[in-house]
Amino acid sequence: MPTINEIVSEEIRAQARKLLEEGTVAAVIGYAAGTLPMTVRPLVVRSPEDCSKLIWNTFCVLNLANYLPATLKSVEPPRGPRDPKPEGPLPKVAICATGCWSRNIVVQTQEHQVDRDRVVVMGVGSRGMVSRRKVEAIFSGKEILKVEEGDHELIVQGADFSETINRWSVVRDNCQTCTHPDPVLVDVRIGEPVSERKPPNPFIQVEKIEQKTVDARWAWFTEEFSTCIRCYACRNACPLCYCPTCFVDDAKPQWVGKSLDAVDTGLFHVLRAYHCAGRCTDCGTCETVCPMGINMRMLTKKLNKDVLNLYGIEAGMQPDAPLPLTTYAMDDPQKFMANEVAPVPSMAPATLGHRGPVPGSVKEGK
Amino acid sequence: MTEQSTNWEPKIIAFLCNWCSYAGADLAGVSRFQYPSNIRIVRVPCSGRVSENMILSALKSGADGILVSGCHPGDCHYISGNYFARRRFALLSNLLDFIGVEPGRVNFSWVSASEGEQFAEVVQGVTEKVKALGSASRLVKKIDALETELQVA
Amino acid sequence: MKVLKVTPAELDAMMQQWSKAHRVYAPALVKQPAASPNCAPGWRRVDGSGALTLSTGPTPASVKTFFFPQPETLLTYTLENNHPDKGLMREPEKSKEMQVVVGVRPCDARSVLLNNLPYQEDPFFQANRRRTALVGFTCDQSLSTCFCTQMGGSPLGSEGLDLAFSRTQDGFIVEVGSAKGEALVTGLDLAPADESEITALAARRQKEVKASSTELDTLKGRELGKLYDAPLWQPLGESCINCGACTFICPTCYCFDIQDEVVRGQGRRIRYWDSCMFPLYSLHTSGHNPRGQKVQRTRNRFLHKLKYFPDRFGPFSCVGCGRCVQDCPVNIDIREVMNDLLAVE
Ligand code: SF4
Ligand code: SF4
Ligand code: SF4
Ligand code: SF4
Ligand code: SF4
Repeated sequence: MPTINEIVSEEIRAQARKLLEEGTVAAVIGYAAGTLPMTVRPLVVRSPEDCSKLIWNTFCVLNLANYLPATLKSVEPPRGPRDPKPEGPLPKVAICATGCWSRNIVVQTQEHQVDRDRVVVMGVGSRGMVSRRKVEAIFSGKEILKVEEGDHELIVQGADFSETINRWSVVRDNCQTCTHPDPVLVDVRIGEPVSERKPPNPFIQVEKIEQKTVDARWAWFTEEFSTCIRCYACRNACPLCYCPTCFVDDAKPQWVGKSLDAVDTGLFHVLRAYHCAGRCTDCGTCETVCPMGINMRMLTKKLNKDVLNLYGIEAGMQPDAPLPLTTYAMDDPQKFMANEVAPVPSMAPATLGHRGPVPGSVKEGK
Repeated sequence: MTEQSTNWEPKIIAFLCNWCSYAGADLAGVSRFQYPSNIRIVRVPCSGRVSENMILSALKSGADGILVSGCHPGDCHYISGNYFARRRFALLSNLLDFIGVEPGRVNFSWVSASEGEQFAEVVQGVTEKVKALGSASRLVKKIDALETELQVA
Repeated sequence: MKVLKVTPAELDAMMQQWSKAHRVYAPALVKQPAASPNCAPGWRRVDGSGALTLSTGPTPASVKTFFFPQPETLLTYTLENNHPDKGLMREPEKSKEMQVVVGVRPCDARSVLLNNLPYQEDPFFQANRRRTALVGFTCDQSLSTCFCTQMGGSPLGSEGLDLAFSRTQDGFIVEVGSAKGEALVTGLDLAPADESEITALAARRQKEVKASSTELDTLKGRELGKLYDAPLWQPLGESCINCGACTFICPTCYCFDIQDEVVRGQGRRIRYWDSCMFPLYSLHTSGHNPRGQKVQRTRNRFLHKLKYFPDRFGPFSCVGCGRCVQDCPVNIDIREVMNDLLAVE
C-alpha cells in the first residue's frame, strides 16, 4: 500500500507534467529530494522530463510562496527596466501549496506582489510537517542516517539503532496548532482535502508567555534571542519579506546596529515580527530555518493573536478584504491610549480589550 | 537599571502631530498650564507618520519614556492618518508589553489643538509613570559597556 | 614535539587549573541562560567544574568567533563637546588576557590557519590569534556530513592546535603543538606518552591519509571561465534563498563590513560579519550591483571557496566540517557542488 504522501507525490508529478506539456504553465514550483535524511530542496521545474524529480513528504517545511514572485518574473520575456509590459497574457507558474502557503499567496496578491491570474495553485491538504529538530532531539547525540515515513509513524535509523516514533508527536508546533491546513486557493487539487482543525487553543504557547510577569517576559525575550547570530535566515525564508532594502540595511538612520549587541538583535526581531503583523500565516518557516533553533515565531504568533482579537482578521483568509494594517474601523479598540478615559466625541466605546481573553474558538475568515 | 540619584529626571521623547497635539502643547504654554519639563518634543506631520522604527530608536538611544500624540479620531488633518496609526500603535504597545518592556514606557494619547489643559495632564501623567519606573534599561543600547560585554573574551 | 599522557581525571584538573589563570571556553550544546551574555553563541565560559561534553562531529558553533568577534571594535571616539578627546579616534584598549578554547575539532583548527592567509597583516585577527590557545580533540567518529579528508584535513589532524588530545584505551595522548600549548602544560605533572601509543596514532593517521581523496585538487588547474559559466549555477541560485546562514556558521567564511555606531555621543567603529549572499555586500554607492542577482551571489560563495581562494593562496577555503550541509534550509550541499564542478566539461 502506498502511503498518503507517495500518492500525493505521484499526483504532483502527473499534474506538473500535464500542466507543462499542455503549455498551461511555464514552470512548476515544488520540492525535490534532499541529500540528508529529513531534508528536501525547493525546485523549479521547467520541462516535463524534470517532473520526475518532484516529491512530497512530511519534511516539506519551507514555504514555497517565497519563490513565487521571482519565478513569475523569470518566465516573463526579458525586458529592460523602461520597456513596456508585453502585450497579451504573461506565462503562468504552478505552485504546490498547503493551507498556510496558499494564504501567503493570497497576501502576496493583496500586496500586488503576485498576479493571481498567472498562478496555478496545486493545492495539497497538509497533514502537518515534521520538525527535524524535534526528531533529532529524541535521538540526541546519535546521528540519524535514514528516516522512513509512514502515514502515522516515522522509522528512524542510525548506525546502530532503528526506532519507530509517532509522527504527530514530532510535527512542528505551528502545524500542531494550525486551524486551516487545507489550501484556501485550489486550482488543481492534489490528494484528498483535509478538514479544518480545531486545536483546543491555537495560541497556547503565546499565552504561556503572556501569563508571566513583565520581568519574566523580559527574561524570556533576552534568553530566547541571546544566541541569534544575525544571519537573517528567518527573514529571507519568509514570503512576507520582499523589501528591496530591509530596515536592517538602512545606514542613515541606522535603525538597528548590525553586531551581536543584545539590544540590536532584540530590536531586529521586534521589528521583523512587527513588519509581519496582519500578514503572517504562521507557516513556521522562519523558526524552522534558524540554524540556532531560536523561536522567533512567538513574536509573530503574538501579533497574529492580537490582530485576530482586535480586528477579527486572519492573514490570507479574506482575499477581497484589505490587509488589517492598511485599513481601519472608526471604533477600533483603543484601550492602550494614555487618555482613553477622556470623552472622545463620536466614538463608539471600545468593545474588545486589547489584553482581553481569547475567544474559545477561532473566528473563521469570512 | 542604572544608579538613581535623588534628582534624577527622566527624558521623555514626545512625537506630536503638527495639527493637534503640537498646537495643544503650544496652547498649554500660552495659557500657562504647568507641566513637567521632562519632555523633548519632535514635531511630526501626523501621528500616522510615527513609525515603530522611530519609537524604538528613541528607546534604544536612551529615552526613558515615549509619548506619541495625535488628533482625536475623526479630527485628523489628513482625514484618516490617526486611524491607521491607532491600529499600528495598539499592536506595537502589545508587542512591547509581550517582550517585557514595562507598561508605561511607551505611551499614546489624543490631544486636540484646543486641549491645552489636557495636554498638560497627559504629560503630567506620563512623567509620573516614567518616574515611577525609573530610568530605562530595556532595549536601551549602551555603548560604553560594549567593550567589556560583547567581546568574546 | 612533546607528547604527553593524560587521564580523564587529569584533564578535569587541567581545565580547573587553566580557568584560574585564563578565560576558558567550551562548546555549548544547549541554549545559554540570559545570565551569561559574556560569550559568543554556541560557546560557554567554563570554570573547570563539571565534565567536558563533546558531540560527535564539529562543535555547534565554529571557532571563528574567537578570531573575528562579532563585532570587533576598531576605533572609538566621542562627539561630546568640551571632551578632551573630541575629534580623536582612539584605538580601544583590547584585553590581552589569554583565552583557552577547549573542545575544538581538527577541521576548525585548520580553518584558523586558512583564514590566516588573507589576514596575515590584520592586526586584530593577529592579536586574537596571539591570545587564543586551541585545545582540540581528534575525532574517533565522524558524521556522515564530515568530509575533512576530501579537503586536505584529517579527523586525526593536529594542525593548528596548541594541544591535541587523542583518545587511547584509558585516556588521551596529548601532542603539544606550540609554545602556547607548552605554557598550558608547564607546571602540571604529566607523564610522557608511551612510545607504543604514539606509533599507534601515527599508524591510524597514515591510514587516513591513504583513504583520503585528492580528486578535488584537479579543480585548481581548471579554467575559471568554464566553471563560471557552467549550467549548474542556475538551479542552485534559484533554490538558494540567500539567507547567509551558511556563511555565518562556516568557519572559513571571513567577510566583514564596517559601520559606525553612535549612542549618546559615544561612538565606535566596528567590523562585523557580512555575507556574500547579501545584496548589500556588493552594492556600489552608485547604485550598481555587480552581483545583483541571486545566482551570482550563490556562485560567488562556492567559487570563492573552491577556485578564487585556492588560485590565490593554494588550499581550498573549506575544511569540510559539513555545517553548511546540515543547516542550509534548502539543502544546498557543497559536496554535490564539488562533484558537479568536477564534472564540468
Ligand atoms: S513570519 Fe514566519 S511564520 Fe509568519 S509567514 Fe513569515 S516565515 Fe511564516
Ligand atoms: S535565523 Fe536565527 S540566527 Fe539567523 S537571524 Fe534569524 S533568529 Fe537569528
Ligand atoms: S569534519 Fe573531520 S575533523 Fe571536523 S568534526 Fe568531522 S571528522 Fe572531525
Ligand atoms: S544557507 Fe543555503 S539557502 Fe541560505 S544562503 Fe546558504 S546556500 Fe543559500
Ligand atoms: S563551506 Fe561548509 S563544509 Fe566547508 S568549511 Fe564552510 S561550513 Fe564547513
